[in-house]
Amino acid sequence: MLAASVLSDSALEHYRGGFENPGMFAPLASAALALAGAARASRRPARPAPALPFGAACAVGAAGLGFHTYNLLRRPGGLSWGNLFYAAPLGAPVALSLAGLLGLAARELGRGAPTLARLPRRRALGLLTAAGLAGTSLEAALLHFRGAFHNPAMWLPVSLPPVAAALLAGAAAHPPEAAPRLTRLARACLNATAWLGVAGVALHARGVARQMGGWRNWSQNVLSGPPLPAPPSFSALALAGGAALELP
Amino acid sequence: MARRPRTGGGRAPDVFARGGWVPMREYPDSDEVDFAIVGAGAGGATLACKLAEAGFSVVVLEAGPFWRPLEDFASDEEAQQELYWLEERLTGGLDPIALGGNNSGWGVGGSTVHFSMISLRFRPEWFRARSLLGYGVDWPIGYDELAPYYEEAERALAISGPLRYPWGPPHRRYPYREHEMNAAGLVLARGAERMGVAWSPVPLATVSAPRGKSPPCVYRGFCNFGCSTNAKQSALVVWIPRALRAGAEVRDLAMAGRIELDAAGLASGVHYRRDEEWRFQRARNVVVAGYAIETPRLLLNSACARFPQGLANSSGLVGTHLTTHAGPGVWARFDEEIRWNKGPPNMAVCEHWNYADEGKDFDGGYAFMSQGPLPRAWAQLVATSQNLWGMALREAMLDYNHMSGLVAVAETEPRIQNRVTLAAKRDRHGLPVARVDFAYSDNDRRMQEHARRFMGRMLEAAGGRDLWSSEDTSHILGTCRMGASPDSSVVDADGRSWDVRNLWICDGSLFPTCGGVNPSLTIQALACRIGERIRRLSARGEL
Ligand SMILES: Cc1cc2nc3c(=O)[nH]c(=O)nc-3n(C[C@H](O)[C@H](O)[C@H](O)COP(=O)(O)OP(=O)(O)OC[C@H]3O[C@@H](n4cnc5c(N)ncnc54)[C@H](O)[C@@H]3O)c2cc1C
Ligand code: SF4
Repeated sequence: MLAASVLSDSALEHYRGGFENPGMFAPLASAALALAGAARASRRPARPAPALPFGAACAVGAAGLGFHTYNLLRRPGGLSWGNLFYAAPLGAPVALSLAGLLGLAARELGRGAPTLARLPRRRALGLLTAAGLAGTSLEAALLHFRGAFHNPAMWLPVSLPPVAAALLAGAAAHPPEAAPRLTRLARACLNATAWLGVAGVALHARGVARQMGGWRNWSQNVLSGPPLPAPPSFSALALAGGAALELP
Repeated sequence: MARRPRTGGGRAPDVFARGGWVPMREYPDSDEVDFAIVGAGAGGATLACKLAEAGFSVVVLEAGPFWRPLEDFASDEEAQQELYWLEERLTGGLDPIALGGNNSGWGVGGSTVHFSMISLRFRPEWFRARSLLGYGVDWPIGYDELAPYYEEAERALAISGPLRYPWGPPHRRYPYREHEMNAAGLVLARGAERMGVAWSPVPLATVSAPRGKSPPCVYRGFCNFGCSTNAKQSALVVWIPRALRAGAEVRDLAMAGRIELDAAGLASGVHYRRDEEWRFQRARNVVVAGYAIETPRLLLNSACARFPQGLANSSGLVGTHLTTHAGPGVWARFDEEIRWNKGPPNMAVCEHWNYADEGKDFDGGYAFMSQGPLPRAWAQLVATSQNLWGMALREAMLDYNHMSGLVAVAETEPRIQNRVTLAAKRDRHGLPVARVDFAYSDNDRRMQEHARRFMGRMLEAAGGRDLWSSEDTSHILGTCRMGASPDSSVVDADGRSWDVRNLWICDGSLFPTCGGVNPSLTIQALACRIGERIRRLSARGEL
């Protein structure tokens, strides 16, 4: 789901950028492969999923971060708010790496590995998704700040997910029996965050409608309005976080 | 083109809907309203809103039409020429100012309907230019007094600006974030960084995110005409709807011709022409807000037995000390495509010489901005500055997408001989037309030369080639200046005439000096302050 969100988002943004650099196709290809890998793995859970597409997603994401940082710093103004708002976004390639990492983690879990990155599985996956949620929330904060928080609902994705992330990180640090209340609370917050991703799409659709010409001018406004594919990454991460809490 | 008034019958056009209407309160001419305001531009519309919201009865008389942006404004340079004040005026002096498109608006919203939305504050020292900087005259109010009203105007207009503006005292963050910089702005930015001077995105009165019924800017670049998107926060879409909601009446196509005085020497109302008919609106107070040419013209046209040389003119200063912003420009060709028509015309600014006082061979200051003229305006500039015509002009126009340039907003000195007077010629209403005489001082010329040199170096630093320069003027200010005493000014710090205490002025003609930035934010801040002052004076029974 995160890969799908990255795929459509980078497709839109790089389309807007006119695919000026051939490298701009890489995240598309990589996110598509990761998506295919994930789809295959979920159709045939018995067979081990290939690691390659997920590993590639991690690498392409890391390279993308490098490119985007370079692109940002060489613009006049350097590391300025204007460039953070409008230059190639730093958060997007990180999301691709995150999708790759989650894919790899799922693969390991599928193979029945007892630990991930030498941490207990529950804690590792919990921390990874918590970090992802916090990071995505940071990205939403930057972009909603750019939009001057003109709608009070724009505060939700910068307040709820960080709480969910903190609770998740806390709950995943203990075995489920040790902190049942914390786990329940974390789960509730994660569920709300998952729904936030859905509501976000509706709100972003309304944002597109508020552009000049509204949905009648969809071909332009889908590009210039708030991105429709962005909010579901909250749902994706919240679901992954929920899955982490299912682990013993 | 024959136009019919749109307001009346209890309603006014809805600026946010094609063919839409909003309810409007109306007053009969015979009602003595608290305030009759002449002109619905930056000064008049803002004051109308403030006064109506303070509970006064207000009638606004506006010579031009009440536009509906969504249906009246077109993305067509030619069709949009009707937004300017194109009634006849005479112009003279050694450096006659071209009047019309580049300085005067016509219609509800005034010149803000087609302004470039640059919204900058004055440098604090300019309010005491004579005492602190040694030139011009001091204003009767200081920056600190105006600062809260600057802020009020910035909030009302939802200015989209940078998080930190590099010049001037720190102030609260602009309500909306800066817009994405266009390539023409990046040229200025690159040049400034290579020369080691600061630059900034321009704080603009067009929204970068939705606001109420305004959608965000679509960067189509038709800002020097009516913004048909309604992203531009003009007086027409910001102050007028608020004024109407608070009970003000706006009469469009109502040309004020004369202010009447009663036996006691107080203003008793305004003679105005609407629908081919002369009418008289009675009022307890009259406010003139017709901008720096029409305001003195109306006062001079209202001469009467008690004030034979014009209303509020016992000092003899009405019409004098006209200032304009000189607009020297430098243009260069770039190898890469710039496409400078994308986005608002002025997106990056350098105010270095407004704040640095060393290294100047002139008094005063100037700012300069990146440019984005549309093809027709560009062709006109190339033709008149380069004397190109025919095939040569066509070839020059092929470079349109590769051009970039910088134009200054350069302060000129207030001088008594630069002035508005009445000509013998009469307009279609039978009123004497204005004659505007203007000449630059030596200081004004030195400043322009300095600006041309500095901007040229910046364009070269940014990679521009084949530089050439142009001349222009923009905003017109002064002519009814505010001041501390009746013999050196026309009105006091509240915009209140020294001679006729229920006659007020609230527009660009108040400026004693013009500073090196675009004036509309200061005009609106002054209007907010005057509105607040009137409310307080009234509460104290001193109106
Ligand atoms: C192309 C252009 C770009 C500009 N760009 C900027 C910019 O980027 N930033 C900035 O700060 N400023 C800019 N300005 C200048 C700014 O718009 C004006 O300085 C400001 O609007 C002046 O305000 P005002 O209230 O004095 O007059 P206006 O806003 O011009 O309003 C005067 C109104 O009075 C009406 N009127 C006049 N005489 C009469 C009468 N006798 N009876 C009835 N009505 C009358 C007129 O029709 C007009 O509507 C620009 C101007 C132009 C033309
Ligand atoms: S560029 Fe923005 S402000 Fe200018 S006309 Fe277009 S929408 Fe309006």
